[in-house]
Amino acid sequence: MADRRRVNGPGSSTLPPVYDDGELNAASRRQRAPDAIRPLCETKPIPTICSYMSYHENLETKTLRLDLKTGVTPSASGSAYLEIEPREGEHGSGMKLTCTVHGPRSLPRSAPFSPYMVLSTHVKFAPFATKQRRGYLRDSSEKDLSTHLETALRGALIADRWPKSGVDIVVTIIEGESTRQDAVERRVEEWDVMNVLGGCITVASAAIADAGIDCVDTVSGGVAALVASKDGNDASIVLDPVALEHESVMAACCVAYLPNRDEVTNLWFKGQLPLSASYNHQSLVSRAVQASRGTHGLISASLSEAIGSTQN
Amino acid sequence: MATDTLPSLAIPGTILGPASKYAAGPGTHVYGGNIVSSLLGNVNVTSPAKAPGPAKRLNKITAPSVEELSTISVIRRGRKREVLPDVGNTVLARVVRLMPKQAIVVIQQVGDTVLQTEWQGVIRVQDVRATEQDKVKIHESFKPGDIVRAQVISLGDQANYYLSTASNELGVIMATSDAGNDMVPISWKEFKDPDTGVSEPRKVAKPS
Repeated sequence: MADRRRVNGPGSSTLPPVYDDGELNAASRRQRAPDAIRPLCETKPIPTICSYMSYHENLETKTLRLDLKTGVTPSASGSAYLEIEPREGEHGSGMKLTCTVHGPRSLPRSAPFSPYMVLSTHVKFAPFATKQRRGYLRDSSEKDLSTHLETALRGALIADRWPKSGVDIVVTIIEGESTRQDAVERRVEEWDVMNVLGGCITVASAAIADAGIDCVDTVSGGVAALVASKDGNDASIVLDPVALEHESVMAACCVAYLPNRDEVTNLWFKGQLPLSASYNHQSLVSRAVQASRGTHGLISASLSEAIGSTQN
Repeated sequence: MATDTLPSLAIPGTILGPASKYAAGPGTHVYGGNIVSSLLGNVNVTSPAKAPGPAKRLNKITAPSVEELSTISVIRRGRKREVLPDVGNTVLARVVRLMPKQAIVVIQQVGDTVLQTEWQGVIRVQDVRATEQDKVKIHESFKPGDIVRAQVISLGDQANYYLSTASNELGVIMATSDAGNDMVPISWKEFKDPDTGVSEPRKVAKPS
């Protein structure tokens, strides 16, 4: 008898996804980016509902393109899809995230009484999301991201409006930033986790708004990093960093920020600031807040467009 | 009217207006003296219901009460939103299990909204009817499968909402007999099977 409890693999043999190695010029990478992932998850090109140009700080010619769409999963109460396109002629390979919100629904019978909404977050990398293939079980970095995401969202939700109910927020990273071979070689994945968290916060915030769960504000994620330039002695702060672009990343900071209240619900700081430098922790945090203000513009534009389109 | 200064669409965090001029309705909250949207949707302003008759002569100085302010609410049109049973709501529930002291039901509709998830409720023996509570027998009031109109009296414990049918309008509204036929109510405490002619005891809701 066929196994109906699990999602079984195809009966015949399949080809594993092949990722390009090494340096590629921009033109050939643009062909690769969608094709490498498509045979596995059968994605259709998603029509861009909203695009927002966030400014890349120190390099004014380069922009980061974000696409956000809500209501992509019909079976969930709320859902959102975020795509960060790779920058032209650069190293990063973009990021694709999807978030589904299930609930509010009744708690299991064994759960204790709660006058508030019980929030549970799950962040999962798809096995093919990064160059280093991931397992199906949650590993420690995914648990870490879930905890950060939960803290970030808990500060924004009005939990006492939903007594005795539970909400599950599931973020799946379809494509992580470090799909490239260089990322593995140069060990910069640890910095990419920051960008992933920023994307998780943004996509989850849009999905919660889509699900109609009360929030005090639309929380958005933003990342800033202190990087050393190629000659190695000049440090500067960049927003939305791509670790591969820079010689080395000294410190990075990811915030979850409520723009209308001017509050930070989650702050993650990593790395060491050089003693001599004129940069301090506050300056890095305030630049990360600046980045999340930019992301907030994307969320509000996308959400406004979503309700505008259901009107007619 | 000041409606034109309000945004027509709101996302969570959008400031809608000062709390001194408006009252906060569903989908909003008050922060820093302002009504702030907490949902994604369209902004609605409902003016207060005018009290009939001539205005009362003021005999003391009072701040304008909540009833005199327009209510701002944020509602997403064309999209059903999950609702929770709340104290005072009239709900429709299906009886799933009977116990000597209580009946376990599953709430399926709150007001006019059909729920996406099932919430469990309990009707205790003392909440079945308003009079002669000591003579109530659960087995003579409900049967598994009945549809009951009830009122939420408490959020209850971790698993159950507490419901009450202690009113003429509340009680069983749909029942099937042992033979499997739909029954019709014939009195305040009996349903009758039109095919077999057998009547069964229930706590019957007054037909509206």
